[in-house]
Amino acid sequence: MTASKDHHPGSTTALPAQPVRSHPAAAVLIMIFGLAAIIFGLALSVSVGAADIKLATVWEAVFHFNPELQQHQVIWELRFPRSLASVLVGACFAVAGAMMQGMTRNPLADSGLLGLNAGATTALALAFAFAPSLSYTYIMLYCFIGAGVAALIVFGIGSLSRKGLTPIRLTLAGAAVSALLLAISQGVAIFFHLSQDLAFWLAGGVAGTSWGQLQYMAPLILAGLVAAIMMARSITLLSLGTEVAAGLGQKTRLVQTGGMLVVVVLAGTAVSAVGPIGFVGLIVPHVTRYLVGIDYRWIIPCSAVLGSLLLVFADIAARMLNAPYETPIGALISMIGVPFFIYLASRRKGAIS
Amino acid sequence: MSKYSLTPYEKRQPHWGVTLLSVLGLLIVVIVVVSMNTGYMRLSPSEVLHTLSGQGTPQQKLILFDFRLPRIVISLLVGAGFAVSGCILQSLSRNPLAEPATLGISAGAGFAVILFISFVPASSAASIFMLPLLALAGAGLTAALIYVLAFRREEGLSPTRLVLIGIAVAAGINAFQLVLALRLDPENYQFVAIWMAGKIWGGDWRFVQALLPWILILVPFSIYKARVLNVLNLGDQTSTGLGAPVERERLLLLATAVALAGACVSVSGGIGFVGLIGPHLARRLVGPRHQILLPACALIGGLLLLTADTLGRWILQPSEIPAGVVVAIIGAPYFLYLLAKSRA
Amino acid sequence: MVSSKTMKISGRKWVGAGCMAMILFLSACGSNNTADTANSGSAATTAPSAAATTAPSEPKTVTDSMGHKVTVPANPQRVLGSYLEDQLVTLGVTPVAQWSVANGIQDYLSAELKDVPTISYDLPLEAVTSFAPDFIIVGSESSVQNGLYDQLNKVAPTYVLGNEINKNWRKGLTTIGELLGKSAEAEQAIKNYDQKAAEAKGKLTGAVGSQSAAVLWLVQKNFFLVDETQASGSVLYTDLGMTPPNLVTEIPADQKAAWNPVSLEKLSELTADHIFLVNSDKAEGSEILNSAIWKGIPAVKAGHVYELSSTGSWLYSGANANGKTIDDVLKLLVK
Repeated sequence: MTASKDHHPGSTTALPAQPVRSHPAAAVLIMIFGLAAIIFGLALSVSVGAADIKLATVWEAVFHFNPELQQHQVIWELRFPRSLASVLVGACFAVAGAMMQGMTRNPLADSGLLGLNAGATTALALAFAFAPSLSYTYIMLYCFIGAGVAALIVFGIGSLSRKGLTPIRLTLAGAAVSALLLAISQGVAIFFHLSQDLAFWLAGGVAGTSWGQLQYMAPLILAGLVAAIMMARSITLLSLGTEVAAGLGQKTRLVQTGGMLVVVVLAGTAVSAVGPIGFVGLIVPHVTRYLVGIDYRWIIPCSAVLGSLLLVFADIAARMLNAPYETPIGALISMIGVPFFIYLASRRKGAIS
Repeated sequence: MSKYSLTPYEKRQPHWGVTLLSVLGLLIVVIVVVSMNTGYMRLSPSEVLHTLSGQGTPQQKLILFDFRLPRIVISLLVGAGFAVSGCILQSLSRNPLAEPATLGISAGAGFAVILFISFVPASSAASIFMLPLLALAGAGLTAALIYVLAFRREEGLSPTRLVLIGIAVAAGINAFQLVLALRLDPENYQFVAIWMAGKIWGGDWRFVQALLPWILILVPFSIYKARVLNVLNLGDQTSTGLGAPVERERLLLLATAVALAGACVSVSGGIGFVGLIGPHLARRLVGPRHQILLPACALIGGLLLLTADTLGRWILQPSEIPAGVVVAIIGAPYFLYLLAKSRA
Repeated sequence: MVSSKTMKISGRKWVGAGCMAMILFLSACGSNNTADTANSGSAATTAPSAAATTAPSEPKTVTDSMGHKVTVPANPQRVLGSYLEDQLVTLGVTPVAQWSVANGIQDYLSAELKDVPTISYDLPLEAVTSFAPDFIIVGSESSVQNGLYDQLNKVAPTYVLGNEINKNWRKGLTTIGELLGKSAEAEQAIKNYDQKAAEAKGKLTGAVGSQSAAVLWLVQKNFFLVDETQASGSVLYTDLGMTPPNLVTEIPADQKAAWNPVSLEKLSELTADHIFLVNSDKAEGSEILNSAIWKGIPAVKAGHVYELSSTGSWLYSGANANGKTIDDVLKLLVK
């Protein structure tokens, strides 16, 4: 996206080489209150929705589940999985975004840069056109593969140079691959008259997530999150610049490759389950970095918490704004995200470029 | 800019530029001829000649003069407009990914169209210029909004911020667009989808008339400003040092780029890749001097889009693939190839 | 001498072969796309079956929904009405080409339109020209936006029905009937349909009274509920007198579409006695139909779900489509 603000290895415009600033106290507070807020959000999330169900019934459904009652089924089969999905997916996008920003040293990077969104969309368009009777689980799988293949191409071409993966090459490759894949999906959608179906899916959000899907998503996501936290120290080093990191004895290529893999697993799973939800991966790491400093050992877990929080409440809003219809959650988050992004961008000094 | 160009231009013979422009011109003539012979209705080359000399059947005349030729001309004009606009934007922002689409101009135009379709039933026989005019207005308004948001009194217009805010505004517009689009009936949605993908609409000589003045005035104007672009491309410090009145020139050139892109978008919808890859290709072929770079951009852009539209008409006939889709499908792999080859 | 005889014979043979070739060539052209001969093929195709009606001998000028002045030819022979095939077929007119997308046509009309070639839904101009239509009817204003109307009109006089008329098939049929000089057929078709509907209504009331029924369309894991006045909705609720269920009547008036999205959560409150399910998701794709909530909906529990093929007539409107929908309802509900 913005090549001009990448920092060339060794350039002095990078972060000042001072001791790593961080605010562990703030981070711990975020974790505690954030988790509490997520639990509250979850409770709220299972209590509201298109079907009119009394709070008492909700609690009864939770604690004395009776499969004969339709309202209890709504709570268990619809609201619970979707609420949990929003928690998981929010964490995914936010952590993937944080890792991208750390690794590419581009404060405006997120997982979309790797072509994941375009890859998933194209896989979806192809699946709709050529295998319309696929089960949802398979569709999810194809989207994941699509996202992964796109990321592989971007990453491959991005790191062909001798200097390794430079942010500028990554950005260029990501933009070109995304443009290519989006064009293919547009072409397929227009030719097969599928555009609106595709749009519905892209806007779909977490509604309709089933326990079955969660069962596939959750292990991947949890593994991805654990890996991300384990890599946090290396990401912090990398965020100081590849040369600094290499100078400190880091195998930067290995870290980059591993990091990208984690990003693909996290964001790829999220995208294939709920469609591309922009801005979560961009905003949340920024806010987190502002609150807890620049140590990724804190940024990554706190991003996960804040990302979950954002998505849980955005999903509640998406259900309530125009009930009983769903407002596309991606659009909703963009509407918060855009002003924030503009604020971020206009704070940047022009001279940095 | 030059530090981002994929393969640095090497010094060649002094007449290289002129030779190249002539070769491009010749190529365009060839593709025009091919394009006249391409389509669902088979017209043999001799029939085309016959018809051109005024002797064809009414049907042949209809196909050639009313469907194919205007479309060819529009492809050339739109391609040239987008490529020149992209080139100006890339040089101004010193960002290799700047193009009309990244600056939210296409998004703004598309939003105006989608708003109109959502809220005004297409029952009145509105002028065929209704949508193009709205698109132009949408593009202009979006560009103005981005400019206002990116401008800061103490620093002037930072190119970086311009691109960033362009991306943000485009994302915001896309969000609104999605909400609106889901409520459209399928018929209208399909229209919008095709519009956004960028299609040379069957073409109508009236569109040619409407578009031609913009291209004829703005492209030469930007070539006239080539020296300023050369200087601006070097960066702020250099250009201020050389005494160019940076801010005013930049605004003027920005307006030129927006007007060009806006006019093109209004006729063809959101064709994206030409504005990105056209300038890259041109720079690779003729180097960074705008005196020769801009004309090369115009020719390459026209050539690209015409080729894409011709292919789009041919590949899946009788169905057509929007030219914008074809451009990206042939342009992006080439772009990636260049990227992979350059090992810098 | 002998040789001259054989010469003659072989000469005749050659003429014969030449004729064969010509015929093959011409017939190929009739269905195909060579520019110079396509219009000569017009006489060979579509002599309208009901030539008995009072066809106007004079071209007439009418104004369409977008305000265009359209001169309708005296006796249009090669009519193109993409996505209006139901109406045309009802009037006994075989269109020169039928609506299609890359992966399908209007399957419920496949018997009636068996030999009719397809044309892409977006009406590519050269494809339109290749069929050499002498009259084009377009359903919705939105499909001819941005100058496409003018282009089509260059190929043949083009009449836009407009959404107002097009969404009511009776009005559409009447209008198309007037345009093509087949008003009598249009009237008759409507009368026949109403009679059929009345009979069906009688049988249905006998069988199920005025129970409520919902039409659900499942596509890409989203459910849509038909509006009361559209497609199979108008058949069920208006023509056959079934009661629209709670979720249909609760749709706010300003949000109504022909097919209204409804979430599974909302669907859990559906009180309809019967559910007609048009399943475009097919196969094992319909996981949603195995969910406890779907199975808990009263009509589903009672076994009153009737799955209909997505290639059937339920998503369409028209005398033909609605007639087929009525047949389906009778078959399913009247034992």
